[in-house]
This record gives sequence, C-alpha cells and structure tokens, in this order.
Amino acid sequence: MHKNDKMTPNERLAGFFSGGDIDRLPAMPFTVSIAGKVAGMTHREKRSCAQNQAQAQIACYERFGNDGMTIEYGLHGVGTACGSITNDPEDNIPAIIDHYLKDLDDLDKKLDLSMIKRQNDPWLQLNYEATEICLGKYGKEVGVSVSIPGPFTAAASLYPVEQLLKATRKSPEKVHQLLRFCTDAIRITIDEFTKAGAGLFLCDPIASGTIISKKAYREFVLEYSTELVDYAHSIKNTIGYHICGNTTKITADMLETGCDILSIDNRVDLSTTKAIAGNKVPIIGNVDPITVMMLGTGEDVDRAIKECLRKAYDSPKGYIVSTGCDIPINGPIENIDRFMEATRKFAKCPIDPKNFE
Amino acid sequence: MSASKEELLKKLSDCVVEMEDEEVVSVAEDYIAAGYLAFDGIMEGLVDGMNRASALYEEEEYFITDILLCSDAMYAGINVFRPHLPAEEAGSQKSKVVIGVVEGDTHDIGKNLVKIMLETAGFEIYDLGRDVPLDSFVNKAKEVNADIICMSTLMTTTMEGMETVINKMKDEGIRERVKVIVGGSPLSPKYAEKIGADGYANSAVEAAKLAKRLLGI
Repeated sequence: MHKNDKMTPNERLAGFFSGGDIDRLPAMPFTVSIAGKVAGMTHREKRSCAQNQAQAQIACYERFGNDGMTIEYGLHGVGTACGSITNDPEDNIPAIIDHYLKDLDDLDKKLDLSMIKRQNDPWLQLNYEATEICLGKYGKEVGVSVSIPGPFTAAASLYPVEQLLKATRKSPEKVHQLLRFCTDAIRITIDEFTKAGAGLFLCDPIASGTIISKKAYREFVLEYSTELVDYAHSIKNTIGYHICGNTTKITADMLETGCDILSIDNRVDLSTTKAIAGNKVPIIGNVDPITVMMLGTGEDVDRAIKECLRKAYDSPKGYIVSTGCDIPINGPIENIDRFMEATRKFAKCPIDPKNFE
Repeated sequence: MSASKEELLKKLSDCVVEMEDEEVVSVAEDYIAAGYLAFDGIMEGLVDGMNRASALYEEEEYFITDILLCSDAMYAGINVFRPHLPAEEAGSQKSKVVIGVVEGDTHDIGKNLVKIMLETAGFEIYDLGRDVPLDSFVNKAKEVNADIICMSTLMTTTMEGMETVINKMKDEGIRERVKVIVGGSPLSPKYAEKIGADGYANSAVEAAKLAKRLLGI
C-alpha cells in the first residue's frame, strides 16, 4: 500500500461500490503508454515480454498507489493476431502500417477466429501472463483491468479506417460481417482475461463522436458493444467503457450497452455527463492528458483536479478521478505524482467541497 | 430539351452533397456535351457542392464519413472535366501548399481531410504523405516555391518535429515567406504559438479558412 494512503485500492473500491466508508476517492490516471518510462524502460522494452509489461504496471502502482493496474492488450490486438503489421518504434506506441484485409470481399476466406486464440497469438499470451504476474505480486491490494478494443476499433485494426468509414455506406452488410467477426474475436479475449482474473475496459476510439455520427454509432457500434458487455456480465466480470473524443451526443447511447463504468475524454464536459449518466453508473475522467499532464505544471494539475471535483464529486453513482485519455509517453512523471497527491488532498473522504473551491 | 447550365451546375453540386459518385460522372458528361465551360462546372458545381458539404460538417450534420464520400464524388466529377480545361487554368497561378504528417506518425485521415478542403478552396497541393522526414517539408517548399506548409500529427511524441521543421525553415531562409499551419488532435493554439507556427486549425474546414486568411485571399 502507498505510504500516503490508509486503504488498499481493493478496500477502497469495495467501499466505493458498496457505499461504505473510504479514505479518498479512487484515482485512476491512465498510466498505460508512460508506464514503461516509470519502470525505466522504453516502450519497445515494455511491450517486448510479459515480465516487462507487468513490471511497468507494478512500478506505477508502487510509485503512485493508483487504484488499478492496466494491461494493454490494446487497440491493435485483434488486427495483429490476424496478420495486420505494425511499425516497431523504440519509444512510441506502435501504429498499424499494413492492414490485413485489403478487400471486404475477402472476409470469409481470410478471417478465422482461431487466429485470435491465446495458443495462436503471442501478444494475447504475453498480456495474459503479464496479468498473472501483476495479480501474483499485488492482487491482494489492487486489481488489474485489461484494455480491449471495441468492435469498431477492432475492425479498423483489420481494415483501413477511411475505407471502413466509406464501406459503412457503400456496403454496410460487409461491415456488419466484419463487426460480427470482431465481436466474436473480442469475446475470446474477454474469456481469456476473465480467466486470468482481470477486469475489463472496452476502448473504442474509432467509434468517437469526432469521427462518426450518432446514427452510425447506433447502427454499427451499439448492438455489438452491448453484446460484449452482456457477455462479460454473463461470466461474472465487470467492464468499463471508454470512447475518445467528443462523445457528448452519444453519452446516453453508450449507457445502453449496460457498461459498469463510463470513462469520458477531456473534450466532454463532466457536468453534462453527470447530468446524463450520473444516476446510472460511476463516472471516470477527465483531466486533459496533453495540456495538463504533459505540458502543464504541478499547479495546473491541482487546478484541473479541483475543477473535475467541483463538477462531479457528487455524481450519484460515484466519481473516480482520472485523466480523459492515456497520459502521453513524453509527459513528466512528476505530474502523475502530483495528480495522486492532489487527489489525496482534495478528494479526501468524507468529501468537503471547501477543499476544491 | 437539354438542361440549362444552371440546372446542370445545381445537379453537379447536389451530386457532391449527396455523395453520388457515379451519377456525378454522367451529369458532368452531359454538361460537357452541352458545350458549357469545364472550369465553371468545377467551381460553380462540384466545389460549390463540397463547400455545402463542409458547412454541413461544421454544423455537425455531416461527419468524416460523409466528407470522404462527398470528396470522392467531387474528384470523380473533376476527372471528367480535367481534359476539357484550358491549359492556363490547369494550375499555374494557384497558391501552393506543402502538406504532410510529420515523421514518426502514420495517422493521416486528418491530413487527407485538410487536403480535400484546401483543394476545394483553390490551393495547389503537394502532398508528402505520412511519416514524412522533416527535411522533406523544407526541401519541397523550396523546390515548388510554396506559400504554406501544413503539418499534422495525432501523436504527442511527434509534435516536436513541427518545431524542428520551423527551425529548419529559418536556417534555410524561407521562414519569412512561407506560412506554417499546424493541426492534429494533441495540438492547441497555445502549442502552435509556442513553436512559432502562424496558426493552428482544429478542423479541416478551419484549416482552409485559416490558409486563405494568412495569405489575404
């Protein structure tokens, strides 16, 4: 347990979800890309083996006392399992440079769910083992959640996004076929990570309100995502939901999935989210990861957390202090220390609004 | 009776707004067959449609998907008109823009949207693509005598490359005569100012407006 805390994250979250007493609000800054740096590794080193992938999260937890470790199966997992190729930057997040699917007419012959399975995909195996290592070391104190792609983002890891978007109009039935495959693929990852003992976080940045309309969200994303949430629940797991960018107009739609926690980007106003979602699910967000966490000062971090607390501390189903998205790899680690200290100070329980006036 | 020029221009514009990339070809062919000027067909038909689509995008009626499909229709029409353009109107006096995604980043959907909007606004575009070596921006701008360099990135780790390009421009003595526009999800007006860019645009439509403003067009 972190020296400045009075409860372990597991104790705190148990209290948070059951309405029991807690020492402070939970804090879950997205320490995913930057975690390698916290452990003294480059991003390539971090993602190279299960031990490093785990060690990066262990180092974060030991330093920050954040309320969750995050294992990054990530946005490209389904694509790379099938044969999409990423670049391999030394200290940056890989991006897909060659998509496996060139033509949606090839769907049937090229896609095979067995490619997703752990015994056939070293990346899934690596993250499965990393989850086990994290939980083996600190599972009694803190949980692991695994980031898995939403169906639309998984589709974009197999087929280039511009072509995917156009295909939603030109050949929607093919897109549905692709999404069907992706949903079944993601179910496999849900199975595996549930077996490993992790919670789940469904991340679907390509379904962003900045990219597609509410209508497209309802037609191509909602049904598949709901199926995944239902599936996670059917095997007794919990699943959070995050979409990047401005999702204000689809907040209520996102809730229809039945997700257990709603995570919002900094482009969304927390007060608005509280009004729409606050009495249904806990909300998590949304300090600006770039302007504040990467480019800001310690005072900027304090100010940003106070502002989030002012807007959301009284959200009926609870509020978890977090960033609006992943903290950039090139941000200062000290700002994450500050983030945690600010949460301990300003979000101490019982909550006193005077602390964040 | 054949359609009037105005009717055909309206149809061309509507085809773009309604993303009819096949119908636009036959309308463009009818328009040429009727003997009307190709240049007007582009500017008052196709580009007019793209401008209407941009307005819908700004109003959040249209999304990226729509803009991509509208631009497909626009380019399908332009391909019909291009052989019928008189030589002197096929380029020459347009303002020139060098555009690309900076080195280390391969996310180019935003850059492609900006390119569409700039072409619609009448600029001549030199698209360097994605993951562009930083020297290439400066070299290309010198080679074609560009008016503007546009750089974008989706990743924070490659943002700094933009500042490097601006410094190279100074070293090469072209900073004074070439404007710099930057954009991309992690950027902000503050960051653009910090690295010494002439402007930041938070959307493709905004980028085209900014480009015109900077050149006083």
